[in-house]
Amino acid sequence: MSKVYFSTWNGELINNMGKSADEWEESAYNLPAQYDEHRESKAFIGWDGVALFSEDVDVIRLAMEYAAQYQEYSEACGRCAPGRWGGRILYDQLDKIARGAGSVSDLDHLKEIGKSMQMTSKCEIGKTVPNPILDLMTHFEDEFMTCIKEQKPSKHYHESVGYIAKITAPCTDACPAQVDIPGYIEGVRDLRFDDSLMATRQTMPLAHVCGRVCPHPCEDACRRTNLDEPIAIMALKRLGADWETDHEYDFFHPMEKKPSLGKKVAVVGAGPAGLTTAYYLAAEGVDVDVYEELPVLGGEVTVGVPEYRMPFGKYQKDIECVKDMGVNFITNHKVNADDMRRFDAEYDATMVASGTRLSKKVYCENERPEITGYWGAIDFLDRVNLYEKFGYTLTDEQKKEYAIDADYVDLTGKTVACVGGGFTSMDVVRCSIRAGAKRVIMLYRRDEKTIIRNTTYEEYHEAVEEGVEFIFHSAVAEMRDENNVLKSLLVDRFELVPDPDGGRPQLVKIEGESFELEVDYLIPAVSQSADLSHIPEEWEIEMTSWKTIKTNGKDFMTSRKGIFASGDCEYGPMTIVNAVGQAKRAASVMARYIQTGEVGLTDDEIMEDHLRKLRVYDKKEKVTGWLPGLARQQSAVLDVDIRKTNNEEVVFGFTQEQALAEADRCMRCYYIAMVQA
Amino acid sequence: MENKISFTIDGTPVEATHGESILQVARKNGIYIPTMCYISKTTPCASCRMCVVEAEGVEGFVLSCNTPPTPGIEIRTNSQELELERTNIMKLYDVNHPLECGVCDKSGECDLQNKTLEFNIATQNFSAREQARKIEDWGLINYDPSLCIMCEKCVHVCNEVIGDDAIEVKFGGYKSTIIPKDADTLDCTFCGECIAVCPVGALVSSDFKYSANAWELSRVPATCAHCSAGCPLEYETRHTGINGEESIYRVKNDFEYTSLCGAGRFGFDFDVQAEKNEMTLQKAVNAIKHAEAIRFSSLITNEEAHILSLIKEKYGVKLFNEDARKYQAFMKAYSSVSGKLHHSATLDAVKQSDALIVVGSRVSTDNPGLRYALTSAAKHNGAKIVYAHPMEDALMQNTITQFMKYEVGTEEGVIALLAATLLKDADLSDAEKAFFDDLDFGYLDAETNIGEEELSQMMRAFKRTQKHTFVVGADILSHPKAENIAKLAAMIEKYSDFALLVVPSEVNTLGVSLLCELDEDKSDAKCVGYNADGDFIISSYIKGADLIVPALNQQEGTFVSIDNRVLPTNVALGFNGYTLNDIASSLGITKENTIEYTKELSPQAGFRAIAFDDLENFVSPMGEDVRGYLLDEVLCEADGNLDTISELPEYNGVVIYHSNPVLQFNSYTNKAKQLEKDRSLRGSAQFAAAARITDGDLIEISFGERKIQRVFSLDNALKGTVALNPTFDDTFDASRYRYEKSKIMRVVHE
Repeated sequence: MSKVYFSTWNGELINNMGKSADEWEESAYNLPAQYDEHRESKAFIGWDGVALFSEDVDVIRLAMEYAAQYQEYSEACGRCAPGRWGGRILYDQLDKIARGAGSVSDLDHLKEIGKSMQMTSKCEIGKTVPNPILDLMTHFEDEFMTCIKEQKPSKHYHESVGYIAKITAPCTDACPAQVDIPGYIEGVRDLRFDDSLMATRQTMPLAHVCGRVCPHPCEDACRRTNLDEPIAIMALKRLGADWETDHEYDFFHPMEKKPSLGKKVAVVGAGPAGLTTAYYLAAEGVDVDVYEELPVLGGEVTVGVPEYRMPFGKYQKDIECVKDMGVNFITNHKVNADDMRRFDAEYDATMVASGTRLSKKVYCENERPEITGYWGAIDFLDRVNLYEKFGYTLTDEQKKEYAIDADYVDLTGKTVACVGGGFTSMDVVRCSIRAGAKRVIMLYRRDEKTIIRNTTYEEYHEAVEEGVEFIFHSAVAEMRDENNVLKSLLVDRFELVPDPDGGRPQLVKIEGESFELEVDYLIPAVSQSADLSHIPEEWEIEMTSWKTIKTNGKDFMTSRKGIFASGDCEYGPMTIVNAVGQAKRAASVMARYIQTGEVGLTDDEIMEDHLRKLRVYDKKEKVTGWLPGLARQQSAVLDVDIRKTNNEEVVFGFTQEQALAEADRCMRCYYIAMVQA
Repeated sequence: MENKISFTIDGTPVEATHGESILQVARKNGIYIPTMCYISKTTPCASCRMCVVEAEGVEGFVLSCNTPPTPGIEIRTNSQELELERTNIMKLYDVNHPLECGVCDKSGECDLQNKTLEFNIATQNFSAREQARKIEDWGLINYDPSLCIMCEKCVHVCNEVIGDDAIEVKFGGYKSTIIPKDADTLDCTFCGECIAVCPVGALVSSDFKYSANAWELSRVPATCAHCSAGCPLEYETRHTGINGEESIYRVKNDFEYTSLCGAGRFGFDFDVQAEKNEMTLQKAVNAIKHAEAIRFSSLITNEEAHILSLIKEKYGVKLFNEDARKYQAFMKAYSSVSGKLHHSATLDAVKQSDALIVVGSRVSTDNPGLRYALTSAAKHNGAKIVYAHPMEDALMQNTITQFMKYEVGTEEGVIALLAATLLKDADLSDAEKAFFDDLDFGYLDAETNIGEEELSQMMRAFKRTQKHTFVVGADILSHPKAENIAKLAAMIEKYSDFALLVVPSEVNTLGVSLLCELDEDKSDAKCVGYNADGDFIISSYIKGADLIVPALNQQEGTFVSIDNRVLPTNVALGFNGYTLNDIASSLGITKENTIEYTKELSPQAGFRAIAFDDLENFVSPMGEDVRGYLLDEVLCEADGNLDTISELPEYNGVVIYHSNPVLQFNSYTNKAKQLEKDRSLRGSAQFAAAARITDGDLIEISFGERKIQRVFSLDNALKGTVALNPTFDDTFDASRYRYEKSKIMRVVHE
């Protein structure tokens, strides 16, 4: 809800002309009425309409400046005839009217050209730019006519007025890393894979990773869904990265590394957030030292995500790309509080990106870590992946702790129960299958639909195929041991009882349905928490109620100046792309902070936050101008009988033919939004 | 996956095969949808938006070029609404387009002109502010941004078909323009394909510019005379003045489906002229009568080769042509295993492949047609391409996915390793099995420098691929063990799903090898040279020839291309002197015209008895190559056995590789005024250090007894200790392996 003077946003028509401000009807949308702490917005104009927050807006100039932005934003236009010339004509004609030289026929030409653009432009930007302009011409016809009749400039034509514009797209807006998705898909469609990759890398250095294991929130905001099925956005990201790798190119960086600023930053943790921070800071000319506790780089994507989902050889390319930008890595270095104090003194800023590596408990009776067979998910996956990817074998101590005879995690003949429901738990059960377990059970409190929503349909389906037993609506009530060796679990069953008052259905235990499950291992993969023992206590850094580091979620500085945090240790256990998005933003803020001491956002970043609040994707919008019924491509997967016993990549990725067909389904839903502030 | 999609266009029931767009189906069925940016051989540019159509039940317009049909959909290609919007697009295209049709090269064959007339755009109700733009001079190519309509065809072909990826769109709305990619000026192989596809006069040949109007030029369909790819082209000729001679003004191609390299496009002015002089003719006749042999090159037509065979038959002279003889020997050995005369693959098969192995060819300069086919496979099929060669080639980086670097001279070992890998599970005979069982893999790995890991990397990459082609290049043909290599290649073709392509070195090496019984060249024999060295020289290009004969753009006749296709070529420019046929007539081998021999070419080699005038010479509007005909397959006995591989040769020290720079092939390209002639020996910094020479040094290179002088130029794109020695300006001894150990001395001027 925002207070507006006038709005046509998303088909609403709010017209408070002639009313006093306190009588103004509000808009139903989260329009950016307040641009930032210092500035109020006067107007907001975009693909879906226009909103005025003040009576004193020069609407003719607003329309003209919006057309000008369309000309400016080169990344999205100049690619089709109606957009290229039409956009220019829109601008020229509006400018003619605004400067007081227009004629009535110019209005007709504007309408005619606007309609042609709406009907035939290549992408949504060309199709939608005329929308708010035509709205203004309709609702403020008098102002236009006055300028034309009196041949006088529009009311603020000669004044300096601030206009701030941003290009977005529903998918980009939904991507925590703001990846230019239509851009990289266009690169695939045009067979310009280097361009595709560079479009991704502008905001996302982990193209191989996020072309494989991203939960792709973008696909939930794909406008193609309104027509048939969403584009396979994630899978198309691989093409650029694979092209670079297959042809042994040097890394295609989308920017040139700036000369050294003589400033340095310490990064704690070489996971997705740490790598991202390092990449973009190094590109800005900052000297970056990344400290990593493990002997290997990559964080949870390396030691958490299994080989069959994310081959390390590919991730290594992403890591090398970051290295190639000139980043210094220090491995086998667990940062402690003294280190942090040193960083605070010696570096210009520090990024804490240490993730969440403590497995949370399942909260059952007799849940004692010293029981053999109780094995935290993070530690379990560390052991599996360090062996499978790097050949690190178990120490004698570890073998004893896990009751394993082999040098690696060998579960032959064993029964494994995992409590979870998210990606980590899926990795645990599927790795257990590959480790030869006799029986693998996933205990999950909620139902199948929810587990699919929390992971992906493919992930769940593949796990079922591989033989994982899912027991829904279940929870562990008690661990039963003999001499501190796990023997069985007491499992409760639940049912969903609808709330008679219409609220959320409640999970209610079904009495008498509890059963005993004989297991060798219980692997809790409920969630993870952050180990923040390295943060010096005397800093009194503010924490969230979930025991993660608190920031305002915009500039990612902690309560201590110069100490930033991003990724899971800030947000709590979340996705790779979320960590990348936070770290990219934080790197941008840090680069300015270490030079100016100021902590603030760029206009582009402010607009990004406004648009995310407003939401770019509208699932109710009717899509026209595209033929519906073109099915989304499906990648072939490794046969279940082959993949169960090894770590080969399960998802093959698209064939070139599939990739090109899929890319052709993309509707290039670029939009421009602009604020007058 | 044979799933046809039935739907209707304008009420006509039509069918699409998997992957076809609505536009493609419409065109196939003769239904017209206007386009400005569509080009059949690339992915849709989708910039013009003219091809929008209506679909029943769908609001708005649907773009037909990149939308596949859905089952049962009813498409309408014409309505008032569509007409209106298409007309508006044409009006936009005309906004500020300079009215210089009077002088524009494109006038008369300009898509913008044609469509403006088609849509009857007489007036224009939109305008935009004019912008000042500079014409770019990119050497052989000029670019005028004011004329450019930003259809992006040039960018698409450069990237997807040629592989240079040398130009790109500089985005910027109305200011959008085409710029050299990552460079200040155009740095490419100058194929000129961008000129060919430009629908307007924005990209033009700087040589042709303002020299003639399109409608004044006569078109002569022909086959390119520079390499064995057999690319179709049209020589465009006109008289140079009121009393002027006919002259070739430019070369064009059917760019919708075929491509040309820069040598084909810009290297057309190699014609010669002579007058008839009975005395000279008689001298030639006498020379042949008294010669032990006729030495000739493969830059001749099949009909000329046939005439030479007839002379041999009648007068018992020997025929020397080492280039074709080597090819012949290779193919004979191949046949002894495969049981047939011709290799199975074509350039089109290469284009369709998604897994390829190329051994022993510096493809980018040996055969650009092959390079373009590989580019297309890489881009459109995501082909996995293994390129085995002793030298990296920067031009191939965006095409190949695995560079297998082997040691010079070890080709036999390389192919044996590849065969052993590809035929691991093949159903071989006991003798064949024994051959592979006896291979000393440790030795082969060590000598070739190709490790097991590289071979398994290749097999991993090929895992999900479907169409496979194995390409053997010219390096192999003159290898001392060429015959055994040919047998191994034949084994691969026979027992795996790899088709085989053997790249002939010269324009008609393949035709000559099929038509002439060739003798081993004895350099001391008394020889008549036909386009080759000899005591009496008959030639269209050798300086000081005793008798001048017409060049290949002045003759009718046929070539056999790399595809085993018999291709007709025609007379672009007249010739007043004698032809080989005239000489033959004086020798009592009489036909009025050379082309009367076309239907007499040997059926034992697969030729058909089709008269020259009955050969088609065009590519159909749907892209079907109907030029000439494909040689019939001829079966023969398969009685060949593999020889055990004993020892692989070693090439240490300074090694020269006979290999031309881009745009250069032979004496014809050497004559062409537009083509750059880099005669230097090109080598890496490592080579320079080993040979103790520096950039710009004048050097003397000795190959055995022969010595030549060249300037050395340092090429930073090269690596290793092998340098590239051009052959276009020098007679290359085709009987010798393309790599030679040599001595290099700096020439010191006193």
